[in-house]
Amino acid sequence: MWDGIVVGGGLAGLLAGIRGAERGKEILIISEGVGSLIYSSGVIDVGNPGLLTKQKNHPYALLGETALNKALDYFRTLFPDYRGERGEVQYALTPLGTSRQGGLIPEGLNAGVLQDGQLMVLMVPEGMKDFFPEVIKVNLEKTYPQSVLTIHQFRLEAFEAWYALGKPITGMDYARYWCSAPGTRALKNVFNSLVQRLENTTTDLRNIVIIFPGLSAGFSMLLQEELKRLPFPVLEMTAFPPSFAGYELYQALRKRFKALGGEMIVGAGVKEVERQGKRCQRILVQSKGKDSEFRARKFVLATGGIFGGGIEVTPQEAKEMVFGLPLFVPRGEWTKAEFLGEQPYARMGVEVDHELRPLDLKTHELIWENVRVIGRMLAHWDPWMEHCGGGVALASGWFAGEKM
Amino acid sequence: MDGQDKVSSLDACIKCSACTALCPVAAVYPSFPGPKSLGPDAERFRLEGIATYTRYLKDCSNCKTCEVTCPSGVRITDMILRAREMALQEGQTGGKDRRRRVRDRILGRAEYLGRLGTVFPNLTNEMLKLSFLRGGLENALGISRYAPLPAYKPKFKPTKNTSPANSKQVVYFPGCFVTYNDSLTGLAVVRVLEHQGYDVIVPAFGCCGVPLQANGEFEGARKNVRKNLSLLNPYLQAGIPVITSCTSCSLALKEEYPKSRVPGGELIGQQTYDLFEFLWFLHERGELKKDFQEVTVSLGYHAPCHLKAQGIGIPSLRLLRLIPGVQVTNLDSECCGLSGSYGYKREKYPLAMEIGGPLFARVQAGVTNREFQSIITECGGCQVQIQHGSGIEIKHPIWIFLKAYGLSLT
Repeated sequence: MWDGIVVGGGLAGLLAGIRGAERGKEILIISEGVGSLIYSSGVIDVGNPGLLTKQKNHPYALLGETALNKALDYFRTLFPDYRGERGEVQYALTPLGTSRQGGLIPEGLNAGVLQDGQLMVLMVPEGMKDFFPEVIKVNLEKTYPQSVLTIHQFRLEAFEAWYALGKPITGMDYARYWCSAPGTRALKNVFNSLVQRLENTTTDLRNIVIIFPGLSAGFSMLLQEELKRLPFPVLEMTAFPPSFAGYELYQALRKRFKALGGEMIVGAGVKEVERQGKRCQRILVQSKGKDSEFRARKFVLATGGIFGGGIEVTPQEAKEMVFGLPLFVPRGEWTKAEFLGEQPYARMGVEVDHELRPLDLKTHELIWENVRVIGRMLAHWDPWMEHCGGGVALASGWFAGEKM
Repeated sequence: MDGQDKVSSLDACIKCSACTALCPVAAVYPSFPGPKSLGPDAERFRLEGIATYTRYLKDCSNCKTCEVTCPSGVRITDMILRAREMALQEGQTGGKDRRRRVRDRILGRAEYLGRLGTVFPNLTNEMLKLSFLRGGLENALGISRYAPLPAYKPKFKPTKNTSPANSKQVVYFPGCFVTYNDSLTGLAVVRVLEHQGYDVIVPAFGCCGVPLQANGEFEGARKNVRKNLSLLNPYLQAGIPVITSCTSCSLALKEEYPKSRVPGGELIGQQTYDLFEFLWFLHERGELKKDFQEVTVSLGYHAPCHLKAQGIGIPSLRLLRLIPGVQVTNLDSECCGLSGSYGYKREKYPLAMEIGGPLFARVQAGVTNREFQSIITECGGCQVQIQHGSGIEIKHPIWIFLKAYGLSLT
């Protein structure tokens, strides 16, 4: 018998698991794959809590601003490299070199350093996939007209075989290499030759900012120390999926959870849940060969909405896949023509009470007493319009962990 | 998978590249297109009758990390293995010359090697230590002279304990590693199961077939499946559980055997348990013996890839934490690199060592810092490889239980 079983291994589910395990509970997380953090930039969007806590049925409104702030503080104690004071707007660079807002941003991704720079140097690792230096140059010079951008191209011996094959190298490949011992040494050489070049052309190294794609030092002490020694700030960039910064956050959360004694089953889904009255008694996991049975006192549903596979949508209906919970479905059109505009389907999800327990849509009665719904599975919010995806995941995940 | 499953598994791929980003082989071997390209991408062409990337199909180590990773449940390794068999049938040898074909035939037959090795184990082991002989093996067959070939021990012959006859029965599928290289672990498994009140039946099984499949001997693998199933069937019909202590054997029995259309195939998946899965099952039912003596030891635990692929979690860790005195750290490690016989091949040995590098470093650091005293893992292949890479001795977790129960092998 587990104290808690979390179905879903994304940001919300992992945080719920960590907080629960930290409180001495025995927690099992079941996840169908690596979870969606590998697609994420590593930036935590919080949105405008002041506004969203007043929006009817919004997860922030249900949980309250205090819970949100506690969750954000908790996350920052877990990962001190993430910065962002309450209400303070911060910026990170997109993979195309425009800037985007964020709530909590790893130190290395904080684009604030570009405000004071007079010379930007864009590092261009040879053969990097999904990386467009010319586009980035145009975008950066538009946003920071006080500054000039120069490109510094380099190649690495370690990737000679890749270059020879003409095989593109993902940002993740590069980032992983920098984190290795030989990679950190190679990085030192890259910077040495850069400094040499700059000293020949520039007199003052203090007004320079280095922009470095495919580098993520947030979870590597060794790399951080290396970067601190440099005479100029080094700004990392967010990346297209699969993204190293997101994956490193996933790994750090997982390691934390396991270090607290938590157990994870990755690569298997829940097939069936057993209900007794208003309580879930046990779940059946679709293991190889036969189903495995797990019992718990409490359950958390963190299956990530439509994109995470927690909600399956057909032209006729939308279905919650684990507990068969009723879903709020917007009336009228689910989608609109403008791709990046507001999409009604984004607000699809499970309606819950203040304790995040699922409700019947008509009677508003509690339907499961020991099940909590968190993250993207919640109804009445839109991560793209409201820029609060990370905040909702953290606040609801932390809350579920507190209640486990 | 039937036709419909194949297509829906293929269509589930959203091309996110998470599998390739986390593939241990792709990380160290630039020519390898990676699971996404080799699996679902190339499958589109294969469905149209166009063979592509054929020569790289054999470079997949069959660790199944991609299947565990995939957020959309795509059966990537399955696609690659099927494509590999198809390519072989069509006479595309995937760049294999005759020497490699012979080598792969030998490595695939863990049991043949084993039978030879266990006749005169000491002689075989001494001979395998001779560098000129290993050089000869490498030149003649392409078996790396550096690879950690496991030592041969006297063949596993399960002896029954003399205690009163047990009323309940289980079948034990020991697998090649226990049978030819580590019979004492097999005996320890038998003793612990007997202690739970089970009579342990060990029919004369052949190899489970995984090494055959991994070395491209698909028909040979199926032959073994049929033979083993015919031995298993009477017990399956009687509802007797089948236990394995090797995580690759249990994965095969659960995943591959049910595909066989011979009698017993419909039951084997349901009735097979990994050893610790079974003990945990007993624990959940309140039937596990709890007469544990204190065992003061701190351990690092490595989860084998083929255990992760079963989707049962890590029951051995849960059980070890029931024993007073046992401290166990989950290394949360990735593939050791060996993948059965993959790392024995001359051209794969350096890859295997590079894949396992971070794990070896973690093991050495943990022992040096006294974070743990020794390492445990269920998989015989992982044991051999980690010991080779780190110089630290590694055992099957069952030994901790044998000690905790105060049992002896004799």
